[in-house]
Amino acid sequence: MKFLQAALTGMLLGGLHALMAAGLSLSWGVLRIINLTHFGLILLGAYLTFQIASSWHIDPILTLVITVPVLFAGGALLQWGFDRLAVTELNSLLLSFGLLVVMLQAVSNLWTADFQQMAPDVNPYATGSISIGRLVFPSTTLIAFALSVLLLGGAHQVLQRTFIGRALRAFAMDKTVAAAFGIDHRRISILLAGIAGGSAAVAGMLFALSTALTPFAAFEWFGIVFAVVILGGIGNVVGTLLAGLLVGTLSSLASVIHSPATEPFVVFSLIVVALLVRPQGLFARAGGQ
Amino acid sequence: MLEVRALDAFYGDARALWGVSLDVRAGETVCVIGPNGAGKSTLVNAIARLHTRTRGRIAVDGTDVCGVAPHRVCSCGVAIVPEGRRVFAHMTVHDNLCLGAYRPAARKTYKQQLQRAYELFPRLSERSNQLAGTLSGGEQQMVAIARALMARPRLLLLDEPSLGLAPVVIDEVFDALVRIGAQGVSILLVEQDVERALNLATRAYLLVEGRVAAQGSSAELRHSDAVRAAVLGT
Amino acid sequence: MRPGRSAFAAGRWAFPLATAGLAVLSLYRESLGLPVSYLSLLTLVFVWTIQATGWNILSGFSGYFSFGQAAYVGTGAYATAVLYGRHGVSVYLTLVVAAGLCALLALAIGGLAFRLRSLRGEIFALLTLAVPFILGALARTSRAIDGGQGIPLPVPSFPAQIGLFQDFLYLMGLVIAAGAVGAAFAIAHSRFGWALAAIRDAEPVAEGLGVATFQYKLLALVASAAIGGVGGSLFALYIGFVTVESVFNLNFPLFVIVMSVLGGRTHWLGPVVGAVLVVLLQNRLASSAFESWQLIVLGAILAVLVAVAPEGLVSGVRRRPRPVLGAVLGAPLLLWLAHAPGQPLDWILAGMLVAAAVAVWPGRRRVPSTAPAEPAGVEPSSSAPASASTPRTPAASHPAPATPALLIDCRQVARYFGGVHALEEVTLRIHEGEIVGLVGPNGSGKTTLISLLSGSLRPTRGHILVAGRDTQALAPHQVAHAGVARTYQIPRPFASMTVRDNVAMAVMFGRVPSRLTQARARAEQHIEFVGLGHLAGALPSALNLHQRQLLEIARALATEPKVLLLDEALAGLNPAEIDSAVEVVRRVHRAGTAIVIVEHLLRVVNQLATRVVVLDRGTVLADGEPRAVMSDPAVIQAYLGRSGARA
Repeated sequence: MKFLQAALTGMLLGGLHALMAAGLSLSWGVLRIINLTHFGLILLGAYLTFQIASSWHIDPILTLVITVPVLFAGGALLQWGFDRLAVTELNSLLLSFGLLVVMLQAVSNLWTADFQQMAPDVNPYATGSISIGRLVFPSTTLIAFALSVLLLGGAHQVLQRTFIGRALRAFAMDKTVAAAFGIDHRRISILLAGIAGGSAAVAGMLFALSTALTPFAAFEWFGIVFAVVILGGIGNVVGTLLAGLLVGTLSSLASVIHSPATEPFVVFSLIVVALLVRPQGLFARAGGQ
Repeated sequence: MLEVRALDAFYGDARALWGVSLDVRAGETVCVIGPNGAGKSTLVNAIARLHTRTRGRIAVDGTDVCGVAPHRVCSCGVAIVPEGRRVFAHMTVHDNLCLGAYRPAARKTYKQQLQRAYELFPRLSERSNQLAGTLSGGEQQMVAIARALMARPRLLLLDEPSLGLAPVVIDEVFDALVRIGAQGVSILLVEQDVERALNLATRAYLLVEGRVAAQGSSAELRHSDAVRAAVLGT
Repeated sequence: MRPGRSAFAAGRWAFPLATAGLAVLSLYRESLGLPVSYLSLLTLVFVWTIQATGWNILSGFSGYFSFGQAAYVGTGAYATAVLYGRHGVSVYLTLVVAAGLCALLALAIGGLAFRLRSLRGEIFALLTLAVPFILGALARTSRAIDGGQGIPLPVPSFPAQIGLFQDFLYLMGLVIAAGAVGAAFAIAHSRFGWALAAIRDAEPVAEGLGVATFQYKLLALVASAAIGGVGGSLFALYIGFVTVESVFNLNFPLFVIVMSVLGGRTHWLGPVVGAVLVVLLQNRLASSAFESWQLIVLGAILAVLVAVAPEGLVSGVRRRPRPVLGAVLGAPLLLWLAHAPGQPLDWILAGMLVAAAVAVWPGRRRVPSTAPAEPAGVEPSSSAPASASTPRTPAASHPAPATPALLIDCRQVARYFGGVHALEEVTLRIHEGEIVGLVGPNGSGKTTLISLLSGSLRPTRGHILVAGRDTQALAPHQVAHAGVARTYQIPRPFASMTVRDNVAMAVMFGRVPSRLTQARARAEQHIEFVGLGHLAGALPSALNLHQRQLLEIARALATEPKVLLLDEALAGLNPAEIDSAVEVVRRVHRAGTAIVIVEHLLRVVNQLATRVVVLDRGTVLADGEPRAVMSDPAVIQAYLGRSGARA
């Protein structure tokens, strides 16, 4: 029973990791930008949720009305900068690493490096839980999972069925030919980066809902999120979701069976194995990019 | 329809075209022949703005496309079937075709367009949910042509549609081009299969080492020694 | 861009002098009246110099960025913490153990990563990012290593002549830093350093010219890790209490990357300059109540540098040495004279920052004109064939035998890319003394065949024998050593090296390895041979296409090949340039090298070739004497279309 509980909780948390990874994965796969500032945007989303909900006493989920547009603009602005500088993939990694450090320190200066959490009267979801038989799930975990799966499923549908989604996929495969059919690379990349920023706002909100925040959480996300991106296949939304669930389940099991300290070991060993065995991702379609 | 004047094109500091001038009138099928490396692909890529390092004038229905951003050229009524097909390999045939109708004017009628494309290439409708990258070369060529038609072009540019295909399949592709031409679409065809190109086109240009070496009706060029010398090097 | 011999000699003198001078600071600290805090600051500079220099040997020199520096710091720190702190093993011995452990770790990482066929720089970076996390988790869980408590290190005993523990640490740091920088200096000025630079500029080309890229990358990784490990041991002593958080820490990659990018990654001195500047900046920010801004400043520096001046300070200093020196000395002097507020360290920092700004200030750069070149047919300088009075005759020592030797034997070779059959059943022989023209319509598989013959691709089926050896078992550089060299359709020179050094690379790593000075002398001959003598000192970016193609040929010739594969070496040239290139090809052939030439211009092929091979849709359509082949109806059909033979 203990293991089943751990596996399911881990899987539910994996949904949120997949949501965090999806923005990174799409911007890497489609725009060829490894955008580490995505972590900074998620952190910013979490702190904004905390701040707005605490100061104005509104439901933390409703803060999305403000944070999503703000971080959409943030993501779009960053992409505009990357585009102007015409950075290569490797340089985008370095450049965004520098920017991420700036963002983390700025967050730390604004909100201090101490743990911050919404007061119980502000956050009605913090204490609730739902039990099924002898299994208990905190409601924040369930909300996070549901919202993540909903958004990723929606993103997948958009990519598969709409003109803009097809344009994004085509753009990822062959920019030149895509342009010949009327796809404006600047507009589409800024749009995508904005959507990734918006998804960071949602992920940040979900974090603020369930845990206490510190600026250094971003570094802790690094490992698990990159594991999900690489395992899922770069630019592959459904793969990212599956990888998120897998990584969540495995790391949660590892921490129950052995100790919480083995979690990073499991996660990073998965990355290494994935890179060595299937560099195109475990869930990438055969014949990858 | 298309008017190219004194076009130069460059790759880095290498020069691929030297003052090329060429016309395609409305509804006409024109071909550009010449040996490999003569600059034929550069020419069509320059017209479709896939290649932008150019100097000179390229006017489509009077609009100079040189000053237009690459993604706006298709709105001028130009669509290209690029060399090597370049279909979107990880998208289905259906999605490849829909992408062709991305420009707003074509998007409105994409369902009818889709139907006409499948009528032109019935084989594609059987495979509409298959990934384009898994198709045979000939089928990929059909996808590339159908994708271009989805944009509802008035001028269709084709770059070596016979490349790497078996003769039977080439026949099929060229039959389709005849039907497309009959619908009133102007065609500019670049082709190394000289005989087939001249059979299809009414007029032809011979491009050698980046310059127009000869031009005239297809019949004239068919018997021209210049063509034979240029292509065979004798 | 590399220091010449004089700089090398100067370095050999200046380096021990600087080290000795720094040692004197500690030994005579009291007589000099130097506060201990200055020594501690310098010790920190050494700590970071070691890490940044170590990182730079792999990541700066070869271009493979690592985010895993903390793995070596942590391994080294724990080697010392566990062995010395817990078990009382000699500190000096733990340094050796640290180096050894890190070297083993590097062998494991490199042995895995560099064998990946599709390893790209970003993947390597992310892979190395994962390693410190894994090791950190191991250390935290294993009681034998840490167990989550941290390990205190007692102050070790040190010779009595040394005053304080700070002096001991300072001297130890100095020695290790000097060793690290010395190693980087030695590497930069050896064949090893040239190999790494070539890998950074164009790895597949380097491999094709005979550089054993896998071995060199692995060696660089090992050197980099060993230095990082010894530095980690020192760091453990410096902080006195080792925890997982303090050593397996993302600050290490951040700092070493900032330092090296700031200083200049391609130069051995770059990380040193970066370390001095960053440590001083950190120190001043910390002491002036801006502590919380430290990382913001560093992050911003990294972001701005990557965008604006990715080549770093050292190249800026080399570009304008006098203004920079003036700024670094003048600004502190001015501040001192003006009785500006603050301490001497503030003024020194101000001077360095002004100097840095001067160094990276965008000036008038010699950017090759982007305006398209006018027809260069009348420009004689580049296309003038070199006088044939300096013929280089690689194979002339063994005159052509009666039956020409078989050089390449290509037996029923097929190559597939996924479902695409690029080549099928290709059988082809290249003999001594031939010029084989390889022609065929677009997409017929010519370039694929060239890549197979040069060993950079392996056949899906069939065998290719070069001088009797099957290439299936050979790395591309071994195929090069067996006597096959190629040029690329789009020239790919080593961008950071002069024309002379581009060619010297190929000499140095040829069948008979040679030293740089000899290689440069040989390179001059090859450059003269293709007619680029007047451009020997120029960088490739200053060359036009024709000259770059000649450089490709010279570089390939410098490997002394038995067979030279020319992949569209004439593409994009104007008629006059074509004639000059044809003349060069003839000269190469006369000197005894067999040639396979892929060319679209059939008139050139007919002119040059002793034999023509026609490829069509991946198979050999015809193979024989040029005139016969070109009148073959099948060939005419392939070129003119189905009924072309009638025309």
